[in-house]
Amino acid sequence: MPDEWYKAMLPKPTRASAPFWEACDREELLLPSCRPCGRVFYYPRIACPLCGSRDLGWRKTSGRGRVFSHSRVHVSFYGDSWKSQLPYTVILVDLDEGPRMLSRLVGTDAGGVASGDRVEVAFTEIEGRKLPFFKRIIPIQEDMQ
Amino acid sequence: MPPLSDKIVIAGIGETPVGKLRGMSAVEIQALAVHEAIADAGLSLREVDGLLNLDPYATPNSMFATTLAEYLGLQPRFVSTVDVGGTVTGMTMLQQACWGIEAGHCEVAVCVYGENALSSRAEGVQGLHMHNLMGGEEWEEPFGVQGMVIPYALLAQRYFDLYGAGPEDLAAVAMTTRAHALLNDNAQMKKPLTREDYFSAREIASPLRLFDCSLVSDGGGALIVMRRDRASKLGLRSVSIRSMAMKATHNSVALLPDIPDLGMQAAGEDAFASAQLTPAEIDVALLHDAFTISVLVTIEALGFAKPGQGGAFFRSGGASLGGRLPVNPHGGLLSQAHIGGMLHITEAVRQLRGGAGRRQVSKARRAVVSGNGGVFSVCGVMILEADQDA
Repeated sequence: MPDEWYKAMLPKPTRASAPFWEACDREELLLPSCRPCGRVFYYPRIACPLCGSRDLGWRKTSGRGRVFSHSRVHVSFYGDSWKSQLPYTVILVDLDEGPRMLSRLVGTDAGGVASGDRVEVAFTEIEGRKLPFFKRIIPIQEDMQ
Repeated sequence: MPPLSDKIVIAGIGETPVGKLRGMSAVEIQALAVHEAIADAGLSLREVDGLLNLDPYATPNSMFATTLAEYLGLQPRFVSTVDVGGTVTGMTMLQQACWGIEAGHCEVAVCVYGENALSSRAEGVQGLHMHNLMGGEEWEEPFGVQGMVIPYALLAQRYFDLYGAGPEDLAAVAMTTRAHALLNDNAQMKKPLTREDYFSAREIASPLRLFDCSLVSDGGGALIVMRRDRASKLGLRSVSIRSMAMKATHNSVALLPDIPDLGMQAAGEDAFASAQLTPAEIDVALLHDAFTISVLVTIEALGFAKPGQGGAFFRSGGASLGGRLPVNPHGGLLSQAHIGGMLHITEAVRQLRGGAGRRQVSKARRAVVSGNGGVFSVCGVMILEADQDA
């Protein structure tokens, strides 16, 4: 599918989250990282939800993960203008770096996804913003890379 | 979890008609529920000096307890609008009413919720149309996630994968709950639901089909709370709140924990420990059923079925009237009406007073009520017990 086909409600970044979305525009998936406890987390916040520190940085991820759960959506929750998107697939993905995130699975094989499948980020430009959607990768592809 | 005072009881319940209440606003529906509860307890409105409510989701307001007090013609000493989330708020209002009475802030408190979520909904809108933000928008909306169906679909798929469960398990909950609703004159759904009906209905968000989803409803429910000695002087058949416990673990589905880590189990363990009771001592269960999957996760988290065995419990008739633990004899959010869980509590009280008519659970002495807001984001469990005849 060409990017123009996709619809999304664009995020309204905050001071804490803007670097995440700006990195997406550069096709990088970053996670906030905590300097004192060394852990990464999702989503970006003003303080580490694991230890409470406000001494935070950013860590670049591999952009890969494994599907924790998935749903094929057949109904538009955004009125008639979204009917063109149906059906679409929503996933919870466990990133290789640890945190779980919610995203949308794209690609012609999205409908056949199963939990445990390997996926990688597929930045998709919508109205000038690149969103971190995901696509399936078959194991042999990943081994060869 | 500290116990609630045993000197305070639920002394009355009110329930409005459910379905479409055309031409009624949320404040009118809440006022009607209050009047029904006042009538049930044989009180006069003037005796109410505490008022707690939940703000309507479809038509949100500020200061809604004060708005309702004015509408009713009351000048309470204690007003509070409580919003813990979903079906937890009803029991949280009760808990706060108990604290308010125990601490001397009021003597007779009414807890109420109701709205016109069905008749105020615009044409063509799917599901409950909430006008307030839920907090997870930045991490949900860009990915096509809006409302609660997709979050619960993701939970259901995880439940299938974790336990090898499947759609037959969900269907069993939908069919059992519908069969119960047919025994309740005040229920939106009036026709039986066969297995074929369930599977021929459209898929909304896999693996959830139409009848896995609760109703969108107009209607209201109210509860009256007062001191035990006062209820007993009035000759009221009261119900004791043995315990109430909560656990909040996350908000957005973006941070959904795995099923064994959801807060329902912790809330349940706290509620049973606080009441010094075990699941074996419960006679009837009013379980959160915004979606069929909610019931399976809850019944297992509370220890009534082993992990992954909730569907088998329903299929064997264990959750039906006459079974080991009848679940949602009023038809629940799935087949009676979705009134934010208030009717789970009014039904629990009705069952424990022995006044549930055709759907009465025989010798019902103790009830467990569960609620959750978001996608098991905040969980609440309450244990109620019948008082001896006045």
